[in-house]
Amino acid sequence: MADVKFKQVYKYYGNEDRPSVIDFNLDVLDGEFLVLVGPSGCGKTTTLRMLAGLEEISKGEIYIGDKFINYVAPKHRDIAMVFQNYALYPNLTIYENMALGLKLRKVAKYEIELQVTRAAKILEISHLLSKRPSQLSGGQKQRVALGRAIVREPQVFLMDEPLSNLDAKLRAQTRAELIKLHSQLQTTTVYVTHDQTEAMTMGTRIVVMKDGRIQQVARPQELYDRPLNMFVAGFIGTPQMNFIEGEITQRDGQLYFENKRLRLAVPDRRAYDLRQDPAPSRQVVLGVRPEHIMSGAMALEDFPQWKIQGRVEMVELMGSDTFVFINVGQDKPVVSRMEAHTNIAVDDQAEAVIQMEKALFFRKEDGLAIRSREAISSCSGS
Amino acid sequence: MHVMTTRKVRLGRLSLLIALTGLALFMMLPIVFLFNHAFKPLNELFLFPPRFLVSNPTAQNFERLWNATSDDLVPFTRYLFNSVIVVSTTLVAVVVVSSMAAYALAKFKFHFRSVIMSLIYVSLMFAAETVQIPRYLIISGIGVSDTYFAHILPFIAAPVSVFLLIQFIGQIPDSLLEAAKIDGATEWTMFMRIVVPLAAPAISTVAILTFQAVWGDTEASTLYIHEETLKTLPYYIQTLSQATQNAVSGQGMIAAAGLMMFVPNLIVFLLFQNRVMETMVNSGIKE
Repeated sequence: MADVKFKQVYKYYGNEDRPSVIDFNLDVLDGEFLVLVGPSGCGKTTTLRMLAGLEEISKGEIYIGDKFINYVAPKHRDIAMVFQNYALYPNLTIYENMALGLKLRKVAKYEIELQVTRAAKILEISHLLSKRPSQLSGGQKQRVALGRAIVREPQVFLMDEPLSNLDAKLRAQTRAELIKLHSQLQTTTVYVTHDQTEAMTMGTRIVVMKDGRIQQVARPQELYDRPLNMFVAGFIGTPQMNFIEGEITQRDGQLYFENKRLRLAVPDRRAYDLRQDPAPSRQVVLGVRPEHIMSGAMALEDFPQWKIQGRVEMVELMGSDTFVFINVGQDKPVVSRMEAHTNIAVDDQAEAVIQMEKALFFRKEDGLAIRSREAISSCSGS
Repeated sequence: MHVMTTRKVRLGRLSLLIALTGLALFMMLPIVFLFNHAFKPLNELFLFPPRFLVSNPTAQNFERLWNATSDDLVPFTRYLFNSVIVVSTTLVAVVVVSSMAAYALAKFKFHFRSVIMSLIYVSLMFAAETVQIPRYLIISGIGVSDTYFAHILPFIAAPVSVFLLIQFIGQIPDSLLEAAKIDGATEWTMFMRIVVPLAAPAISTVAILTFQAVWGDTEASTLYIHEETLKTLPYYIQTLSQATQNAVSGQGMIAAAGLMMFVPNLIVFLLFQNRVMETMVNSGIKE
């Protein structure tokens, strides 16, 4: 096992004006399960492929352990990779598929047999060893691909969207098994996905990427609670965080968030952040998670200063909760996560309360979270 | 209702089956004729009206063919030996060269790759006759006239085979090769253990096409070879049929030679066609 270091890594493709990966700096800790997440084309797979040695590194340095690996061939990097389409050799049996890596490394036959049987046992695929990939279901192929990776006992596992070809149920199940497997083996893992649920549930830490740049590196909960910018805030969480544009005004020493339809008092803690902002801006975007918009008489009574109201555009019943889409005079309605048995119908006039202590503010001009300097440096440093 | 439809379907299938069987039998007629004709004794060969099937089969025709010699006293067996050498060497060379070239062109990125590809595509468009003179100039220019190379070399430049294999190898997912690379495979291992087995259907097709072209080829023997002992079987049979066109005694030999030329084609086709089907079914390249 080993840690992985990226130092100012760039990737340029032949005729592109803009690099696909820009100034990528990251320390993956030993034994960590690090998830790279972002929309398609954000450079996450390119980054993983550079680490695997399948793409050249245009600029910068990558280390596995203490070894500088920029010019090391993939087979000498001591890594194993699981591909999205599993990439099992169709002409070989499952046993041969798993054994090939060891065989090419001239491992003794009895040793290979021992390793393959052990891996097959862990993944419960012992009964499939004599079959060929075409005879297997998607989930079984996925296990074989994992098996092929673990028999080699590599320093680092690389996984490129390994679950995205599975159906929803199997994906959830395999996700849990991957977490279990990682806790058993404790091998450093770099995992690429575009699915934020996978990222949140599996990652020790998560790297959110967009347009080739790292947006934020943080533990899942921190990423959810304290996103550094509007992109991260919007990308993590379903339904998406609500964004409401407005400006900060001050009356009698009290700060307010205001737009044409709303005037919400800013609680002291948030007011402190707003006042401390290195570039104080009046034009802001208020970010609030659906679960922080509450309905109910008690909330309305307790927090009249945070009340919003509007017409209900849509109601989505999810079983455990209900998502209510309220029009507050913006292009996009505000989504509130309410309890399942809410008596709200489309076209009703709804009233709800925004929990302003939990709300976030972003600068309108660059989308960065407004937080005191200390808070920002302590977050980004992790 | 349900019974009605199944009965209809069955009837439809049955009539299709009958029609196709009839067609297949009709297509088999020349082959049946060829086999029977080769075993007919002289008196049956000249029966009028001609008979389709042989009534007193004899191996006499083959015996005479086997012992025959050309006008230059080169025995039949020498031509057969030459053909076997030329065909087997060419087959191996074409398969090796074409599949390696196709692998490189389909899966590697290098300078002038698209230029080379377009050259191959352009060369597909030339009729065989148009390249006979340039070929002759090349063969005599590099000084391989009157050697086995004169038979083999023209076939190794096989744009059709390369084109076919590029198409096929191009479909092998890159991730398979990348997985092998990470597993520790060298380019050679990747080629031999992954590309060749997965391209087996295309390679079999190339083998069938090449065999048929080389086995029946008279061009090299006619144009580049003057030495009679280096000429191949199809050339001999061509001269035999020309020389004995009007001679009664040669007809039996020609019938036997016709079968001898045909049977290897049939065997190779059956052999590889089986492999084509098998690999198509089991490849499972596509998810």
